[in-house]
Amino acid sequence: MVHVPVAPIGRPRKSFLDDATFTANQDAVAGREATLAQRRAEVAAGWGEQYVKRVHDKGKRTARERLEALADPGTRTFEVGTFVNYGLEFGDGKQKCPGAGVVTAFAQIHGRWCMVIANDNTVASGSWWPKTPEKIERAQMMALRLRLPTVYLVDCSGLFLPEQSRSFPGATGAGHIFKMNSLLSDAGVPQLAGVFGDCIAGGGYMPLISDRVYMTEQAYMVIAGAALIKGAKSQKITSLDIGGPEVHVHTSRCADVRVPDDDTLVAALRADVARLPGSAVAYYRGDAGPVDPAHGTAELAGILPVDHRESYDATEVLARLVDQSLLWEVMPSVGEEMMCGIGRIGGLWCGFVINRQGLVGDPAEPGARRPAAILYRAGIAKISAFSRACNDDGIPLVWLQDISGFDIGVEAERQGLLSYGSNLIYTNSTNAVPMFTVLLRKASGAGYYAMAGMPYDPVVQLSTTLSRLSVMEGRTLAIATYNTKLDDDFQITATDPAERQKIEAGMRAVESRIEGDMDPWVAARQMDTDEIVELGELRDYLTMLVEASYQSTGYRRIKNSRIWSMHDLAIVSEGLR
Amino acid sequence: MPPPRSFHRLFVANRGEVAVRVARACDELGITPVFAVSEADRDAPWVHGRESICLGPARAAASYLDATRVVQAARQTHCTALHPGWGFLSENPLLAALCEHHGVTFIGPPAHVMHQMGKKIPAKRAMAKAGLAVIPGSEGVLRDADDAIATAERVGVPVLLKANSGGGGRGMRIARSLDEVASAYADAQAEARAAFGDERVYMERLLEGGRHVEIQIIADRWGNVCHLGERDCTVQRNHQKLIEESPSPVLDPREREQTLARAVNAARSIGYVGAGTMEFLLDTSAKPAVLRFMEMNTRLQVEHCVSEQRSGIDLVHEQIRVAAGHRLSFTQDQVELRGHAIECRINAEDPEDGFRPTPGTITRWEVPSGPGIRVDTHVAQGYVVPPHYDSLLCKVITMAEHRDAAADLMIDALGRLQCEGVSTTASMHRQILASAAFRSNHYDTRTIPGWGGGKGSG
Repeated sequence: MVHVPVAPIGRPRKSFLDDATFTANQDAVAGREATLAQRRAEVAAGWGEQYVKRVHDKGKRTARERLEALADPGTRTFEVGTFVNYGLEFGDGKQKCPGAGVVTAFAQIHGRWCMVIANDNTVASGSWWPKTPEKIERAQMMALRLRLPTVYLVDCSGLFLPEQSRSFPGATGAGHIFKMNSLLSDAGVPQLAGVFGDCIAGGGYMPLISDRVYMTEQAYMVIAGAALIKGAKSQKITSLDIGGPEVHVHTSRCADVRVPDDDTLVAALRADVARLPGSAVAYYRGDAGPVDPAHGTAELAGILPVDHRESYDATEVLARLVDQSLLWEVMPSVGEEMMCGIGRIGGLWCGFVINRQGLVGDPAEPGARRPAAILYRAGIAKISAFSRACNDDGIPLVWLQDISGFDIGVEAERQGLLSYGSNLIYTNSTNAVPMFTVLLRKASGAGYYAMAGMPYDPVVQLSTTLSRLSVMEGRTLAIATYNTKLDDDFQITATDPAERQKIEAGMRAVESRIEGDMDPWVAARQMDTDEIVELGELRDYLTMLVEASYQSTGYRRIKNSRIWSMHDLAIVSEGLR
Repeated sequence: MPPPRSFHRLFVANRGEVAVRVARACDELGITPVFAVSEADRDAPWVHGRESICLGPARAAASYLDATRVVQAARQTHCTALHPGWGFLSENPLLAALCEHHGVTFIGPPAHVMHQMGKKIPAKRAMAKAGLAVIPGSEGVLRDADDAIATAERVGVPVLLKANSGGGGRGMRIARSLDEVASAYADAQAEARAAFGDERVYMERLLEGGRHVEIQIIADRWGNVCHLGERDCTVQRNHQKLIEESPSPVLDPREREQTLARAVNAARSIGYVGAGTMEFLLDTSAKPAVLRFMEMNTRLQVEHCVSEQRSGIDLVHEQIRVAAGHRLSFTQDQVELRGHAIECRINAEDPEDGFRPTPGTITRWEVPSGPGIRVDTHVAQGYVVPPHYDSLLCKVITMAEHRDAAADLMIDALGRLQCEGVSTTASMHRQILASAAFRSNHYDTRTIPGWGGGKGSG
């Protein structure tokens, strides 16, 4: 019998949080999540009804309708990159491009998680804006990391030309999408492409590397469209004549199959995915299966205070994420400011690292308390060892951040936190096991780096609506910026009233700018985070990601729990004989 | 035939007649039972001359209901399997999961199956998918008040609104007319949000009355699933079953046959293992009457003896066999359901005084015996009925060719039950069984046939 010594964690909400505080927290979060829902709807609407109608009038489906039809009925699809470019305007016409004109989502097709990349044909005919290539490449990278079948629903009129210098030439410019196509193919990741309409230039290259390419009767793929041919060669000819299925399926053989319409194409793609090997999720679950946490996930929204200075019990957060609220806490007696443990999510083993909040014991001074949510030496060593063990054992790892940063000061430097931190960074940078990062609230400074923030390539990084991502808090950063003009008590040294006013205004400006930048919407817009999620759907996202991590066999290490090195770590750290 | 090889030591995580029942099967299979007891049950008759371990104080929450203690005790006593019985933690997926993680085989279905069946919406969905009729209602949770009203129009009032994360009646509202639906929906939502932090609610048509019919299922790990027929448990008081019988005297043979077959398929489709019961409401508002799935109990039930008497199959034996990986010892073709069986639950309660529990010392105890009579009990003369737990003293099961004969035999048997020191409900049972209402099937779950209620029952 496999022995993972899990134990129940967490308590009923009423035993640690009164109704008034719970409701107040819920209301504060509800306000933010209402904004999230409204903005999701706004992005999903593309350029609006009129453009949806235009698509329908052509007898075609919108990108989101295709995605819905592609996914198994009754299952949820999980979008990533929804808010890329959110609120930004491009070109002389000050045009917006909701979702950067492309939908990228994890969707289940015949029980297999797939990455679906669908050009949004309700936004400028699916053209590519600045950051559209990066969004597509990010989705391709997620698929590559997890070896998920990748399905392209192509309907793209090419680059949005007025902004071509921001999307064409760079290292992650549009052409890099095709490099990613190649890398996926090279790694043996199945790719399928459905061509539904305009596929001009880049849009024409994107499908070709896929294992199978379908075209509807309305689809064409061309290096240059009719307009360009007319300009360059004075020929009047339609794009469909140049590169429709008649040409590409039969003459050039650039595509494999012609199908009458969108619905048939989607059905054909589903049938292809069904021919792939099935998901290994049930195999790795063994006798286990998904079970809800004993304490309701919905309660998370009432447990996390919106104000990042207020604390909560990290155990209660984990208790509301893992199956049955059962967790094996590893190394509980070291580095109390960090909590590491293994639990199941969706019936599959997963590692969790979370910051404790409030005050914790100080090993140097028995009985004394010091603030948690900070990386001290023991905590760093603990999460580094835990991260290495998860990697050794092939246990997917979830980092739940609410971190102010590293400990600072003379003692911290003497202890060599730079080295311990670098050790952790080296570990996380070289880990091959899938890692996922969640910014619960604060994600500050090197703490964000140390806990596998975006620069350390988590497969996916999620932010809640409460998250605050920055190098440091606004006030601290203002002080740092104006350091030379402040005394030891952070008071302005200048005596001239005009000069004082100037410094004060400058500091206020810095502070408010940083506050503004910490907004999760800014992070999502810039692709500094992959998706903003409701607290109540966090478990659903993580369950999907962990399932996706166990779906494909043969590409990464997965050990049975008898032979986990985690056991050695537990024994050694607890001094058991 | 020697018993199949299986566990050497089995932990009995229960008390009273449940512990006695499980231990009897252990004895017959050559397994050593180890009893979990609370401080109140330390010297109980069923542990005399047996191995036992004390879980904790008399209060069930600190002993029989503490899953962590129970598993620790099972490990400590070197048991390799655990039988949860019925009641207490028997339907708690946490116990099942803790057992599996700690190397003790849980005698019951896997935790996730138990969990799925414990949640109303997924359970109902799975059963509907397997072809069973369900109680009409919303497809999952309701989107908003408009959806609630539309659903109520579709399924017809009265309707019941229930919290998705609910339990214990919180977040539950009844709307008897369409006008009441919006406000009932809002009230249910508000209460659910306050109680569970999850305001999602779903809707079902409120079916009042009807008859309670349930199907006994047993499955092994290899996809073999059998039923042992149905039981009718319509004689109830406040949802507590008083009398159970098999077959149901009012069920149309075609409806019976069809539902039994579908129940077997449904159990197979969810990967069910062990003994379980699917509970149905016989909806007589439909013509012909339809059995509508209500819930599945993922454990053995108190009234399993009724099915054992009719089939001659020992369900606890089978439970232990399949938990050890054996196949069921029989196939559906080999199940022969004979005659009519009736069970009465005899409690230490005073039916003349509003069913007030009557704990105390039993000064005289003699149970009836004879052909067609089975008595399951943990009680012996001198036994002190503790105030901490349910007050069941014994179950009397009679079996005869026909219903009337089984009822007559029961009246006779209960007349020979000698219990002094505490009041029992035996006299009430005799009154019910003798009544014209019982004999002619003029009752539903809301009325006790032949029983006007004692002086305290209002």
